[in-house]
Amino acid sequence: MVTQIMPRNFLQRQKIMRKVLISLIPVILGGVYFFGLRLLLLLVVVTVAGIATEYLFARKRKAKVTEAVLVSSVLFTLSLPVSTPFWAAALGISFGIFFGKEVFGGFGHNVFNPAIVGRTFLLISFPGHLTAAWTRIFTTFPGGFIHYIAPPLDALTQATPLALFQTGETLPLSKVIVGNVFGSMGETSVILLLLGGIILLAGKAADWRLMLSPMLGFVGLTSVLKLAGVGGIPHPLYGLFTGGFFFLCIYFVTEPVTAPKTIPAKWLYGILIGVITVIIRYFGIFAEGASFALLIMNIFVPLLDDAVKSLQALRKKEAAA
Amino acid sequence: MEMSPFIVFMASIFTNNMILANFLGMCSFIAVSKEKSAAWGLGQAVTFVLTGTSVINYLVYHYVLVPYGLVYLRFIVFIILIAAFVQLVEMIIERYFPVLHLHLGIFLPLITVNCAVFGVSLFTVIRQYNLFQAAAFGFGSGVGWTMAIVALAGIRQKIKNAPLPKGLEGAGITLIITGIMALAFIGFSGIIHVQ
Repeated sequence: MVTQIMPRNFLQRQKIMRKVLISLIPVILGGVYFFGLRLLLLLVVVTVAGIATEYLFARKRKAKVTEAVLVSSVLFTLSLPVSTPFWAAALGISFGIFFGKEVFGGFGHNVFNPAIVGRTFLLISFPGHLTAAWTRIFTTFPGGFIHYIAPPLDALTQATPLALFQTGETLPLSKVIVGNVFGSMGETSVILLLLGGIILLAGKAADWRLMLSPMLGFVGLTSVLKLAGVGGIPHPLYGLFTGGFFFLCIYFVTEPVTAPKTIPAKWLYGILIGVITVIIRYFGIFAEGASFALLIMNIFVPLLDDAVKSLQALRKKEAAA
Repeated sequence: MEMSPFIVFMASIFTNNMILANFLGMCSFIAVSKEKSAAWGLGQAVTFVLTGTSVINYLVYHYVLVPYGLVYLRFIVFIILIAAFVQLVEMIIERYFPVLHLHLGIFLPLITVNCAVFGVSLFTVIRQYNLFQAAAFGFGSGVGWTMAIVALAGIRQKIKNAPLPKGLEGAGITLIITGIMALAFIGFSGIIHVQ
């Protein structure tokens, strides 16, 4: 592993982050199987760029590079399409680590999720690379393990499940769950993500409330809209399992530094992420709203926590009186 | 333009937020966002003034400036009306609501030079809103502005003890946070079209 190659005093070891990295192994292997070996190369480029950015700041603070930057790099890579140019991927993670984390004083102080800051920045700066350049996927063994990259999709005739939906088509749900759909590298297979989520929960590296609440918000609002007869809304489960939302619920919403600390705030935070995702996805100009939803809710985390704390203090006071 | 005032209200909070989409009213946004209570106070005052001035400026524009062919004076007239309104509000509040004045007192004069207030009056003219739309737009912009500044104050209080790089303390980090907030709010774009 990368962590063993580096000198002892270079990397700060973080137990939880190690667990997250381990839980990501099946997702990475699945990504390679579906999309090809280029994923690994992207992973290396992004990780090097991420560590370099953090090192510049950590040296000034006389601190070590944290293991969290490895997690951010891997998650960031998996949130991109496999055909992303190397320069764009490196730029994205550097921007994310720089403006999302280091300017706030490094690990533990960041308000926004660094990987999502980087991804959102890339999405609005170079939308073509992130939303149009999809590839086909491998479906037969050994799949991508012996290929550099999956062949490109004809952008005019095929699109991601979400974009397909806007033209009125849907893929069978079974296909979506196993992962036989194209999209970003980490988001395709619900089964592998679920496996990763179980490893996270078993290792107590994530809070199940944060994982479950966005899904509740998402399925809840989609069901209500569907029952109300709003046009253009897919089956709630189909929406949940396609696109990056499921990936985001398991790995990004649960990120401990940026998530709220109090339990009621966690529920509210998650549910609102689901709700905002639905609104952006089905009514806005972006096909995928999950990363925006997370960033928007990151803004309100301090307020949510404060509101809960002052409410609890008030209740205690009343109980005492 | 046919659009329900409620839609205009929602748009001015989320898709066309004065701070996060138009970057208006930045000076007080950055200066008064250290404490949540101060931010909340200023937000209330801005909301009140925005609602009042957007209606007054609408009336003056359509019933005085347009009929007499004085539209070219609108910049000066709007500014004077805003300043007068703020003064009047301050005097009334000081006389009849001393507690509220104690709460908002220092912030009221600041609002005269808040670009968001002037911007709202001009947008009302450019987008050809009717009276109800103008009122909803003014009120919504105020609510959106308040939401943004209170959220920013929350974030700034959270990172108060963070080991920021020396050069970024204060306004520097605040501008970066504002930038990322704006990045997030781009996600809402396209949900409602107001222009």
